[in-house]
Amino acid sequence: MTTDMNNSLYELPTESPRFVGQQVRRIEDPALVSGSVEFIDNVTLPGMLHAAILRCPHPHARIVSIDTTAARQLPGVVAVLTGEDVKRWCNPVVTAPEGWGAYCLAVDKARFVGEPVMAIAATDRYIAEDACELVEVEYEVLPAVPDAPAAIAADSPLLFENQNSNVMLQRVYDWGEVEPLFERADHIVRETFRWNRVGANPMETFGCISQWNLADNSLTCRGSYQTPSFMVLGRSASLNLPSNKVRIIAHPHGGSFGGKGGPRGTDISALLSRKAGGRPVKYIEDRAEYLLAGGGQSWDRYYEAALAVMADGTVTGLKVKLLDDQGAGAEGYGTISVAKPLAAFTGPYRIQAAQYDLTVVATNRAPTFAYRGYGPPPHNLVLETLMDSAARELGIDSAEIRRRNYIQPEQFPYTIPSGNEYDSGNYPEVLARALQMADYEALRAQQQTARDEGRYLGIGVVSTVEPGVFDWNAYRTAGVQGVGVPEGARVNFDMLGQVTVTVGFALEGQGQYTVAAQVVADYFGLEMDAVRVVCASSDAAPPHFGPGGSRVGVALTGAVLGACHKIAEKFRRVGAVLLQCEPDDLELAGGAVRMRERPEAQLGLADLAGTMLARSDLLPPDMDPHPGATHVWTPPGRTEPDEQGRCKSYLTAANATHVVLVEVDPDTGVTEILKYVIVDDCGTRLNPANVEGQVQGGVAQGVGAALLEQYVYTEDGQPLVSTFADYLMPTLHEVPITQKGAVVTPSPFTPLGAKGCGEGSIHITPAAVICAINDALQPLGVKVRETPASPSRIWNLIREAGT
Amino acid sequence: MSEFVEAVDIEVTVNGKTYQRSVEPRLLLVEFLREELGLTGTHIGCDTSYCGACTIHMNGAPVKSCTLFAVQADGQTLTTVEGLATDAGLHPLQKAFSEHHGLQCGYCTPGMLMSAKALLERNPNPSDKEIKKQIAGNVCRCTGYQNIIKSVHAAAAEMRES
Repeated sequence: MTTDMNNSLYELPTESPRFVGQQVRRIEDPALVSGSVEFIDNVTLPGMLHAAILRCPHPHARIVSIDTTAARQLPGVVAVLTGEDVKRWCNPVVTAPEGWGAYCLAVDKARFVGEPVMAIAATDRYIAEDACELVEVEYEVLPAVPDAPAAIAADSPLLFENQNSNVMLQRVYDWGEVEPLFERADHIVRETFRWNRVGANPMETFGCISQWNLADNSLTCRGSYQTPSFMVLGRSASLNLPSNKVRIIAHPHGGSFGGKGGPRGTDISALLSRKAGGRPVKYIEDRAEYLLAGGGQSWDRYYEAALAVMADGTVTGLKVKLLDDQGAGAEGYGTISVAKPLAAFTGPYRIQAAQYDLTVVATNRAPTFAYRGYGPPPHNLVLETLMDSAARELGIDSAEIRRRNYIQPEQFPYTIPSGNEYDSGNYPEVLARALQMADYEALRAQQQTARDEGRYLGIGVVSTVEPGVFDWNAYRTAGVQGVGVPEGARVNFDMLGQVTVTVGFALEGQGQYTVAAQVVADYFGLEMDAVRVVCASSDAAPPHFGPGGSRVGVALTGAVLGACHKIAEKFRRVGAVLLQCEPDDLELAGGAVRMRERPEAQLGLADLAGTMLARSDLLPPDMDPHPGATHVWTPPGRTEPDEQGRCKSYLTAANATHVVLVEVDPDTGVTEILKYVIVDDCGTRLNPANVEGQVQGGVAQGVGAALLEQYVYTEDGQPLVSTFADYLMPTLHEVPITQKGAVVTPSPFTPLGAKGCGEGSIHITPAAVICAINDALQPLGVKVRETPASPSRIWNLIREAGT
Repeated sequence: MSEFVEAVDIEVTVNGKTYQRSVEPRLLLVEFLREELGLTGTHIGCDTSYCGACTIHMNGAPVKSCTLFAVQADGQTLTTVEGLATDAGLHPLQKAFSEHHGLQCGYCTPGMLMSAKALLERNPNPSDKEIKKQIAGNVCRCTGYQNIIKSVHAAAAEMRES
């Protein structure tokens, strides 16, 4: 479904954009469909070696000895790296909160199954793996902390000896007068939940090629890096190198979703290169390594939560108690995922006060990392399930209780109890459209008919807010410092009028290079073919963060527009010289600089750029001859958090309602999704196809989390997942074909009015599916309180209830 | 190559060109294509034939090249994603995937294209259900599949017309 463009396009010097807001073809695609994109594993450098890593088979073990004698003698082996080298040359990885990081290879002891213990570089990967098999490691197995409840037990073994306990973070936030509201409530609805670990699992695992230049002691790493500038800082800290001596070259990657990982693999390959006399060393993580110990595991949580509700259905207070399992340390910044819910803690509702009781612990599971959504998906499952429970208790329809509690359109900008400010929205309209598209009344009738026939149909109606354009201040809870995340773009005309946009992040699938080209082409009246978008290495790129936290569409648009404005000013100054007038007499329009009063007096952009670069004799000596500019955009109005973590953090608040119809088969426990309707509002849709792609992709991951995916661990801490036979990725058979609609409420705070939209669907889909399942199971008197709602889990629930 | 294993001579035709190479018996076909022949369009996603990123055609049938040895391709005729486009331009499937946003990161796309091609060669007008059945062995983590189904339909229509 397409939507009307809004008038906030005033920042483009055109009233009729040809590309922005249109479903244009992606400039990324020709190379991708022909298989010619330079993913990192496609790259071979002269003299390159291949790394293999030997990993610990125990959840918790002291390393008594490592014998690499036989491995070193295998022909083809060039370098061997152990904890001894790492201890001499490196630091433990920097974490937030501080002091919960390990070295890239286990030093003295290992804390999870799959932790690297030693590594080998050889002339090919087969030999490197053969050599690993010749290594003898003697372990002293230590008592393990298999899960979060064990981590807070009185006699729990310590993971990190520099800490007093396994508790990384413990505090209670009180936002407003929570207790009095619960005392005055007519109803208090309580639930407990267990959200099991899921993870990103991009189709391409992490990979890199590191080369240590021994002559000047500098490091170059090519790889599938989502956040090159932070890889530089991290490697500088862990490898003891000045930050300007670490150069990151990001290659296009095969998906990321936050869960690409990379610090350990990069450091290990870098140190192997150092030991191999500076030869480049490639490390390509295989899928088993990714599943066991890669950058993809996220959100391992135990919840107790309660909602204070008045007799008329008004929800007044929310209490959430979370016990969060970070795994073996904070190296993956999984801690941020417990902080991010602050940005939309009370969802789309006018809940007056809230409490967040947080305990974050370390265990002998794999460390957790970022994953698309970064924390809110489980939180929203909790809140939305409570909303349904309240509706049931009061005998109100589940759509109606949400409608009664929404923040109203005229209340924006709206500050929620946990401190963030929502920019704009029209939640009642989004709900109304979704119910209309789904023909909600007919669905309820269909459900009733089915129940009469002994079938179990359920409907989920769920609304959430997606915080977009993240900011560091949102994560102060986890010990992250800073306010304002920059994104830079450099836009250059060459003397023939062709344009190159340089950014600091590589392609990973969201189509942002296309968005940059759309904006530049409309700004200067060019064809999109005239605009090329490239990624510079970290030492040459403008300041940037890149994709993450639903930000880069908005942030990149701001950066590109800022650079375009600067170039337009330069063109007007040069044009004024050539046309013998004042810059203010000129305007940029229709691909030319022309006189406002006499539009036929105009100069083409190629003429202007060519004059600047090749006819300095025509220009005054002090005139800037560069037909290009760099602009670094930061989100406006962000604030320092107060002692309760409250601040203006995420710049935008997108909103969606999903309506889902499921049927649960009580004999098998299998859930089938029969209908799936989505209406979302992410402000201006810069490229509607990109938005819909993000929405549908998030649904797939959300369905996976709700029904299929789980990193299974045994009671003693052994992971049981090492292939996609164990970790169930959704296929075409499980992901529903969805009907999509849009409401457009532009953001008043962003360039062109767009809002972050990359994570909204995974924020809402698990809640929508689980709420629908619980609606289906209601006649059986059982409720899903643990994800994923796999057939066996549902079947057991029904069986234990004896129905 | 390891000195302990005797190499085997093989002859393989890939995208119309015949190659003779001496390979270790344990060398996987996907690595032969990527490392020996430099045909890096075929990707490795899972190593265990669940994800389908490595799908190619062997004698016209789709196979997962991560679970075959190079020596098993001796004397066989292979097609990879690099063999789809011709001098006349992209294959209708490649065009349709681009036109209908049937890809995002593009890592799974070569395998998707090869699986879809095999379907369209034997069934020029597949239903949604037939497309789902054919491509169920190819995992995409980005798109949620809806536009992939749309793309295959669009390519089928174009191929029927041409």
